Amino acid sequence: MKRALALISALAFAASACAPAPTGGGATGAPTGPAEAPVRGGTAIVAIWQEPSTLAPHYANQTVTDIVNYGVLEGLAETTNEGEYVPTLATRIPTVGNGGAVVKGTKLDVTWELKPGLKWSDGAPVTSADIKFTWEITMKDPKVNNRTGFSEIESIDTPNELTAVVHYKSIYAPYPLNFGGTSPALMPKHLLEKEADISKTEYVRKPIGTGPFKVADFKAGDSITLEKNPNYRGAPDKPYLDKIVFKSVPSSEVAIAQLKAGEVHAMWNLTESQTPEVEKEPKLALQAVPGPSVERMELNTAKNEEFTDPNSVHPVLGDIEVRKAILYATPKQQLIDKLLFGKGKPGTSPVSQGWAAYREPQEAYDQKKANETLDKAGWAKGGDGIRSKGGVRASLTLATTSGNQLRERVQQVLVDEYKAIGIEVKIQNQPSSVILSGSCTGKDPRKLGTFDMLIYASSPGIDPHSTIFPRYHSKNIPTRADCSGQNYTRFKDPVADKAIEEAGATLDQDKRKQAYATAMKQLNAAYVIVWLYDRQDLDARSVELRGWKANTWQRFTWNTEDWYLKK
Amino acid sequence: MGRYVVRRLIQALPLLFAISVVSFAILKFTPGGPLAAYEGNPDFTEADRLRLEKAFGLDQPLPVQYLAWIGNFLRLDWGYSFASHQPVLQLIGERLPNTIYLMGTVFVVVLLLAIPIGVMTAVKQYSVFDHAVTGATFAFLSTPTFWLGLLLIIVFGLQLRWLPLGGMSTPGLEQDIGDRVRHLILPVMTLSLVQVGGHVRYLRASMLETIGQDFMRTARAKGLSERVLVLRHALKNAAIPLVTIVALDLPELFVGALVTEQIFGWPGMGRLFWDAATRSDYPVLQGILAVSSTLIVLSNLVADVLYGYLDPRIRFS
Repeated sequence: MKRALALISALAFAASACAPAPTGGGATGAPTGPAEAPVRGGTAIVAIWQEPSTLAPHYANQTVTDIVNYGVLEGLAETTNEGEYVPTLATRIPTVGNGGAVVKGTKLDVTWELKPGLKWSDGAPVTSADIKFTWEITMKDPKVNNRTGFSEIESIDTPNELTAVVHYKSIYAPYPLNFGGTSPALMPKHLLEKEADISKTEYVRKPIGTGPFKVADFKAGDSITLEKNPNYRGAPDKPYLDKIVFKSVPSSEVAIAQLKAGEVHAMWNLTESQTPEVEKEPKLALQAVPGPSVERMELNTAKNEEFTDPNSVHPVLGDIEVRKAILYATPKQQLIDKLLFGKGKPGTSPVSQGWAAYREPQEAYDQKKANETLDKAGWAKGGDGIRSKGGVRASLTLATTSGNQLRERVQQVLVDEYKAIGIEVKIQNQPSSVILSGSCTGKDPRKLGTFDMLIYASSPGIDPHSTIFPRYHSKNIPTRADCSGQNYTRFKDPVADKAIEEAGATLDQDKRKQAYATAMKQLNAAYVIVWLYDRQDLDARSVELRGWKANTWQRFTWNTEDWYLKK
Repeated sequence: MGRYVVRRLIQALPLLFAISVVSFAILKFTPGGPLAAYEGNPDFTEADRLRLEKAFGLDQPLPVQYLAWIGNFLRLDWGYSFASHQPVLQLIGERLPNTIYLMGTVFVVVLLLAIPIGVMTAVKQYSVFDHAVTGATFAFLSTPTFWLGLLLIIVFGLQLRWLPLGGMSTPGLEQDIGDRVRHLILPVMTLSLVQVGGHVRYLRASMLETIGQDFMRTARAKGLSERVLVLRHALKNAAIPLVTIVALDLPELFVGALVTEQIFGWPGMGRLFWDAATRSDYPVLQGILAVSSTLIVLSNLVADVLYGYLDPRIRFS
């Protein structure tokens, strides 16, 4: 979850001196970098416009909790901006190569070594028992958010104070981030083991961690104050700041206003339309970091009806030539330039970031080619300009979450573009609580199959497999009998199925990457999904706040130990 | 009168029970639910959902859930928030002082403004001052608080930069009284401007009625000064309807102002309710609704009792 020890941060620091500035909007002319001597002391104020209801890492379910916790809690490992795993509290990342990870048939053993001399912020030593406890409590506490990874663990041995051997029941590939990364974080056994119910302790508001700061004050609805952790392994050099205050503000508009007025130093999560306002202020810097979230339009290849038969064929979208034409008629770059204010990239696949990223672009916008494709496929234009074939009119519905201004504007553009190639589109939006409910009982049209085209966004989970297997393997088409799958386009491809299965059965990253690439190539060759654009995480700060670094995989508070204030 | 109060209190019980059933039902039938927030999490599985439903008691039939809640509620165990896991009583306890601080100030400011203005407009009926006040009060009465609040923020916070944009204090300056007052000005102004109009209208109408009555003419004939006449004889009688209106405002002291607290980021009861509502945090919502409905029923009783006390013509029977 957090940064590494002084040596590694020094290396990273030196490396960033030679490396080009991180992609994205970047600091608007702000002098950052290792050449400048950091200033010690001071209080940075960060505006948050959602309040963390709890800071306990195993209960939390809000991005804003992570934003606060990055300064406080850490795990065994974390992810760099380049998507590499690096150790945080561990001495190294266990791999098959260094003998730390051993595959035994269909099981996996992972050996973690803690750095010696680590302390919790209350002064107690960090030991391997804390690793075991974190697993035990996550499995035991009924109120935890989820048990991803932990439920794959059979047992944990702690041969000595610093070593923990984790025995997995399966070959659980994302094991490096099981104990850290984002949440979850390592939890202190000495403090919590005697508690019958952690949700009723002070830990939910003042969790004890190993990070550069500790929670000094939690004023509900008002502010959360972090102060220097004297037991931090980087102390007394780091952190540079004395305090960070997360100040609760009513909305992102107010956060921008306070940032402009100099009342706060930083804020998170702007919308694209708010960026011009920040960019024109010389005292403010915008940080645009590519995020893993991909906005997509999925095309239903089966009949648009409740509990659709996966083998049925959609009268219009069942024709791959129509699906091709829809892709050719989608002006991705224009959507990004006009509606996203340039903050985004044309989408290419469900996995846009990290080691498994697949960035082979889909065919570019070409209205002429779209028309020709449809002409050739026998879809002839009628008197009203709408095509039909064999008595079937090329008339489709386009759904998305209602009330989302950006998506509604995208829809308007698409309706016009598709009309120009002779496809009639009717908008059919529903509240996100229905359209993204993710359950058949919640009437999610994706699950039921009651949609033609549907726009939404999704981020990959902790490992690409948790995205690609449930969404693109033909086994995972939701049906009345089993509604759990997420293959909403009803995509069926034996080559993709085989590649996905292969990727799930090995720990060899190169082999996995290749297999996922095959699956995603097959997916794009079926033209069932138009990857509209990759979203970016947009954060803003005062140029007085220095030491920021971009990280696609973590939130902007991931390196608070390096932050300092300089007028 | 004691018997009257007891009788009213006994009558209030079935009413409060009915309110609690209805508010419980409204909460439960609102789409979404407390676990909807987890939907976007790719790691949240169906098994996790079932486990959390059980942990929060949401897998029980609705009547069982209600009876469990009301039983604990009467024993002062108001349950724990689904989102923050804090006891509901503690959450309310944290926010209540902030709300009383804000709404109490508004309450005092409104009375300090409404009484002199109301009296003046009645005494100087149809004067320029009266017309100006009447115009202004109608304008503010018909202004929604969210709009007025945002307007004040834009003018005094963003354009003139005289006052802070929200919150209760500047981080690090919590003990600074000047800083606290500066944070108080805009929300108090928003709420007072909207509320003062109604009170002025009531007082003005009631003053006009009183001034025209026979005993006023008698008092004037006795040679009393205009000042004594207005303050001692007219206002004392005219204030009776105002007292009851003010008594009906009392619950607001504790429940807070939902919209205004949200706009100004005020950590009070209104914001607690807002946050809990957006997360379908049932225990918190039920706790706040129970407090507010009880206070409203009680303040109605207080208003009636006060009315009878101030006006001997009213009998409790």
